[in-house]
Amino acid sequence: MTVSVMIVDDHPIWRDGVARDLAEHGFDVRATAADADAAVRIARTVRPDVVLMDLNLGDTSGVVATRSITGDLPQTRVLVLSASGEHSDVLEAVKAGASGYLVKSASVRELVEAVHRTADGDPVFTAGLAGMVLGEYRRMADAPAAGEPPPRLTERETDVLRLVAKGLTAKQIADRLVISHRTVENHVQSTLRKLQLHNRVELARYAIEHGLDREED
Amino acid sequence: MSTSPALRDPATPLWWGTIVLRWVTLAFALGALLVHHSGYDRPGLAWAGFGVMAAWSLVTTLTFARESLRLRSLVVADVVVTCGVMLTSQLVLSDQQFAETAPLVTTVWASVAPLTAGARFGAVGGVLAGLVMAVCTGLARLEVDLDVARDGVLLTASGLLIGITATTARRSQATLAQAMRTEAATAERERLARSIHDSVLQVLARVRRRGAELGGEAAELARLAGEQEIALRALVTTEPSGPADGDADLRAALQLLATPRVQVSGPAGEVRLPATIVTELVAVTKEALSNVERHAGPSAKAWVLLEDLGEDIVLTIRDDGPGIPPGRLEQAEAEGHLGVATSIRGRVNDLGGTSTLETAPGAGTEWEIRLPRPRQRRRGSR
Repeated sequence: MTVSVMIVDDHPIWRDGVARDLAEHGFDVRATAADADAAVRIARTVRPDVVLMDLNLGDTSGVVATRSITGDLPQTRVLVLSASGEHSDVLEAVKAGASGYLVKSASVRELVEAVHRTADGDPVFTAGLAGMVLGEYRRMADAPAAGEPPPRLTERETDVLRLVAKGLTAKQIADRLVISHRTVENHVQSTLRKLQLHNRVELARYAIEHGLDREED
Repeated sequence: MSTSPALRDPATPLWWGTIVLRWVTLAFALGALLVHHSGYDRPGLAWAGFGVMAAWSLVTTLTFARESLRLRSLVVADVVVTCGVMLTSQLVLSDQQFAETAPLVTTVWASVAPLTAGARFGAVGGVLAGLVMAVCTGLARLEVDLDVARDGVLLTASGLLIGITATTARRSQATLAQAMRTEAATAERERLARSIHDSVLQVLARVRRRGAELGGEAAELARLAGEQEIALRALVTTEPSGPADGDADLRAALQLLATPRVQVSGPAGEVRLPATIVTELVAVTKEALSNVERHAGPSAKAWVLLEDLGEDIVLTIRDDGPGIPPGRLEQAEAEGHLGVATSIRGRVNDLGGTSTLETAPGAGTEWEIRLPRPRQRRRGSR
């Protein structure tokens, strides 16, 4: 089955280039959008399998668009395609529901592979993202926020994430830890899911507190 | 808008002070003249002297009020005119008045010249003008007694203090101007970064992608474009790690080492450490990476991982090259080669950290550098 894709980026040269690359590799490029609001609106109509999301979109950030799209369309997956230095934004987008992250400097082959993985529901976990996720779990453990206790990584999950961050492939990790390839994927998936779930709970808690505050006023 | 406040002479309030003081002391001199003129030997000369003082007060008011007219020559002339009028006292005052230590013709009006000299030339100028005035006071009275000495100390001290104040004001203004320039430069840098991101980077990325697909010579061009793209991206997305309280962000510093073959990962936020440690860790990482380039071949990839464990900082540098055969390092060391491994170990030891090297034929090399976080400031709160 052909995978349908939507590309969100405010730079026409980049957007059209990626669209052509993906079309040449057999993807169905359904739509493109230049800003966050259009992205959310068009995604609702087009319902693509995968949204390629740039985070640097001018007015509204791609993080907000990612949250809306993954919230509204459970079947649509968001792959962040962003500049290498936007660490905090990438982490926020992943917490908001994006299922992976690729730097814009990645090769076409890497991009094609990543879009396929994303369409299959597998996370695109580059070394860069693994480093950020590891850092985020440690940050949450160090500075416990009020409310919901932060999620923790199991020892195995930490091992797996560290190896991903050091550039090992899933196959190499499976060999080194003497577990199956599938188990490695599951561990990676689970670290992301816990982070996203926690983020949703925290957002809901914040919204409720905010609402109650207003009523008291 | 033509003159920004930063460009004004910061000693301007001091100049206005001297102008006001000059008129107040002139009024005092007039009072002294009215009281004493009946006893003067030459009252006419006394009035002439007062006329000069009034005229000079007007001249200095009109000139010193404007920054462009606070000329060195005028300030020197101020000292000369004041001394000249003061020295006529020898002819004006009677012997009896000298015996009663009646005031000189200039009275306290003479104290203004050392102040303007201080405002114009700083502490040294103020002190010199004060000393000149003190000597003239002695000459005008033709004796040196406690009064003359006291006046001398006061004149010199006021010149000194105003001089120090003026210099301090100018220095702090220079510092402020420097800070404003830095801020403007940062803003300009951000604007440039945005514009590079919006134009050059997009085109470079496009060239890289398309060229890689076309292959051949185009692929070589694509590779070059890709390298520049990554270097530019790192440059425009890395905050300038300013020398603020001697700390720097190791995360951002390491990001600059990223190339198409070297991937850098770490926490999303900053990892702040003393700047000296950041510099040293970056140097160690560069050394390990250059070793990868030398021994692991041009196709080998490398990964740098930075972890902030709170108490410890862990830095891992891994490559997927051929690795180092067992005994090779020991052999090199036995032969007296102080290789990269020895150098890295030494540098990490000097920082108070530990380093381990894992390697096997076909399994690449992996350096793990562990450094206890230097004590002080936040973290470790549990």
